[in-house]
Amino acid sequence: MTATRAPARAPAAETGTDPVAAAITPTLRETFRRRRAWIVIAAVLVLGALVVLVVQGGARAPGPILGADNPAPPGSKALVQVLRAHGVDVSEARTAEAALDAAASGATVLLYDETGILGAERLTELAAAADRLVVAEPGFGALEALAPGVRLAGAASGPIDDVACAARPAERAEALSDGQRLLTVDDDAAAAGWRGCFRDGEFGYAVATGPGPSGGEVALVAATTVFENEHVDESGNAALAIGLLGASDELVWYLPGPADADAAEAPTLAELTPGWVSPVVVLAIAVTIAAGVWRGRRLGPLVVERLPVQVPAGETSEGRARLYARSTSRGHALDQLRIGAIGRIAAVLRLPRSAPVEAVADAAAQATGRDAASVARLLVGTRPAGDRELVDLAAELDRLEHDVAASVRPDDRTDPTGRRP
Amino acid sequence: MAVTGRFVLLVALGVVPVVVAGLQGADAAWLALVGWLALSIGAGVLDLSLAASPRRLVLTRSLPDRVRLGETVTSELAVQHLGPRVLRAVVRDGWDPSAGIAGPNRTRLRIPPGERRRMSLELTPWRRGDRRAEEVTIRSSGPLGLWSRQATLAAPGRLRVLPPFHSRVHLPSRLTRLRELDGRTPLLIRGQGTEFDSIREYVRGDDVRSIDWRATARHVDPEVPGSMRLMVRTWRPERDRRIVIVADTSRTAAARVDDEPRLDTAWEASLLLAALASHAGDRVDFLAWDRRLRGRVHGAGGAELLARMVDTMAGIDAELIEADWASVPGHVRRVTSHHALVVLLTAADSPGSARGLLSVLPQLTARHTVVVASVADPALLAARHERDTLDEVYGASAAERGLLDVERVGAAIRRLGGITVTAAPHELPPALADCYLELKATGRL
Repeated sequence: MTATRAPARAPAAETGTDPVAAAITPTLRETFRRRRAWIVIAAVLVLGALVVLVVQGGARAPGPILGADNPAPPGSKALVQVLRAHGVDVSEARTAEAALDAAASGATVLLYDETGILGAERLTELAAAADRLVVAEPGFGALEALAPGVRLAGAASGPIDDVACAARPAERAEALSDGQRLLTVDDDAAAAGWRGCFRDGEFGYAVATGPGPSGGEVALVAATTVFENEHVDESGNAALAIGLLGASDELVWYLPGPADADAAEAPTLAELTPGWVSPVVVLAIAVTIAAGVWRGRRLGPLVVERLPVQVPAGETSEGRARLYARSTSRGHALDQLRIGAIGRIAAVLRLPRSAPVEAVADAAAQATGRDAASVARLLVGTRPAGDRELVDLAAELDRLEHDVAASVRPDDRTDPTGRRP
Repeated sequence: MAVTGRFVLLVALGVVPVVVAGLQGADAAWLALVGWLALSIGAGVLDLSLAASPRRLVLTRSLPDRVRLGETVTSELAVQHLGPRVLRAVVRDGWDPSAGIAGPNRTRLRIPPGERRRMSLELTPWRRGDRRAEEVTIRSSGPLGLWSRQATLAAPGRLRVLPPFHSRVHLPSRLTRLRELDGRTPLLIRGQGTEFDSIREYVRGDDVRSIDWRATARHVDPEVPGSMRLMVRTWRPERDRRIVIVADTSRTAAARVDDEPRLDTAWEASLLLAALASHAGDRVDFLAWDRRLRGRVHGAGGAELLARMVDTMAGIDAELIEADWASVPGHVRRVTSHHALVVLLTAADSPGSARGLLSVLPQLTARHTVVVASVADPALLAARHERDTLDEVYGASAAERGLLDVERVGAAIRRLGGITVTAAPHELPPALADCYLELKATGRL
């Protein structure tokens, strides 16, 4: 692993003859050429997808819900244009100040606060300033501020045709399409002058009207369905919408923007942390990616070791032992041990290979001084009845074999030098 | 392309400008982040464009052809740089893992244009056979050491790793025994297994029984008229006998006994026998056989014999196929038509797998002296006396069954006229050598 300078610089002639080592890694150009088909297919797919998006118009963002100039299904461009055609001066407001100014001059105000930006104070202020305030899909906070006692009550079960009140726009509309939400009006609210229109079930109303804090009129429409491009033409939706919004010559279309957020509310996480935290997090991600590339790039392809096949030789014996154990062939297993022991005892006692078992047993009994019958039983007779007995007999066989070997061995007291103690 | 740790550090250092700018405001921090990332990537691209091409290189390998297993060799790779810029590279040589490279396989080289550097790696292979290196990977970094170019170049190399021949430690003692058989020892014993060598003049100390009186009568002493020179006959062991070693490389040779595959034991045993026999003046032929001839050494003698044998053995590994013993007599006949000592190195351990061998053995024993050498498993011998628990008793009886099978196959071989040599892996080579010496002494070659 050392690098040394070559003793001699390569002569020019050698430089000319030695071939440059062939590269296995393809160059960028070769990679491109090799994968050209895939690259072309990918490009065609991406282009096709783009074309489809452009043709469908889906490439644009859907725009704000109930946006006055939003032609998308959830927008309200259709309603606004009809109102304008009828001579209503529709102006858009994105801030509370603009909406308050317009309201002070006697305009009707449509409020749709999608994310609940406006605080209670702003809402009351707006309701006090406007002669007519129409709130689309009021949230919990808005209901608390404007109409305590009117509560959200889920979605309607279907189209509603029970007008149930005497308000003119509602009477003219007669029925509302499917997709409405419901409000309930409790006794306190009813006593304060709140009336529900378009009843669904016992207590649910799709629209609620009542007095504002300074005498103006406030209408709460529980769902945005009535104003949406997609549904405005269904049932009596358009009649209700135009009736509510077209009552005066001026209409302020107020969708609160981020600037209206109440300064008194809790600051977001981004406002709490110093300005450098988010960039440092992004930098940490970049460092992680770079470190991954650094450690993950392999220095050349893996080299595969061609291993020769090798099998542990003991597997046959182990497998056979498990077969004996599984089939609890105690007699067979013990017989193997007996055959081996008889053979070895016969060899130790210098008996011929053809000697019968009885002769071997007798000779072993003589050599060890044991009872001939018990040795014969051990070597041929007994069949093991249980596992315990098998283990005992096996050990006993081993002991017998050991004793026979010890009996013919020359006296152990002679030490290797041949001297007796 | 690859990036270095230095580049990662550079990107990480961006935390300083980002925090400093962040004290002014969030926008400034974002600007600093984008600026720093652009700066880092720009520096990387610049570095990459200044790096020398790793493709314009001439690679020359120099390494020994052969090495004995367990020994260390130096593999050298000369890298000549033909590009116009200085090459700062990390080189990795693509050797097999079993080539046993010492240390991390990463060599830093700095080669000015047109010059050549030599790098060396210490290899201690730990497996027999051909160890190969197909490619060399070069990672060339730029002067800043941020980004690098990488290419893998073809640089084929091969190192043949020969069997270790550990059993050569047994050779000197067996050669001494051989010399005792030979006439070079003071004992001029005439007996079986010896043949007439020459007649020479009696010197004091020679056995008087070896005086050849007829030769003495023909040799008149010119210096002392009327008297004769005493001539003695000298004897030497039989020479120029044929020995054919047939090693079985089929599935039984793949079994690992006592941490050594049967095949490796067969190689050790054949090498020791061949070394001994070539010293004794016999001619050794070697065949490696399963269903086809895997290797053959024929007609070599002396040092060349061992060299060719280890070379042939190096590349042979056991295969999981059944040996075809039926064609072995034909191959032996092709080697020699005379009486020979045929040594079969195989596994004679179960009646089922030895059936092929037993069926052709009569054909071989009719013409030749046949020795069947096989490895005994010491684990079986140990297992048969362990009988303390039920599982051990079953293990012992299975081991006993295996050993009885070995004995049965051995008895069958002996009945068919073969000679069996069975020993534990490390004891088989000397046991086979002893068997050979005994056959030689008794004149049965």
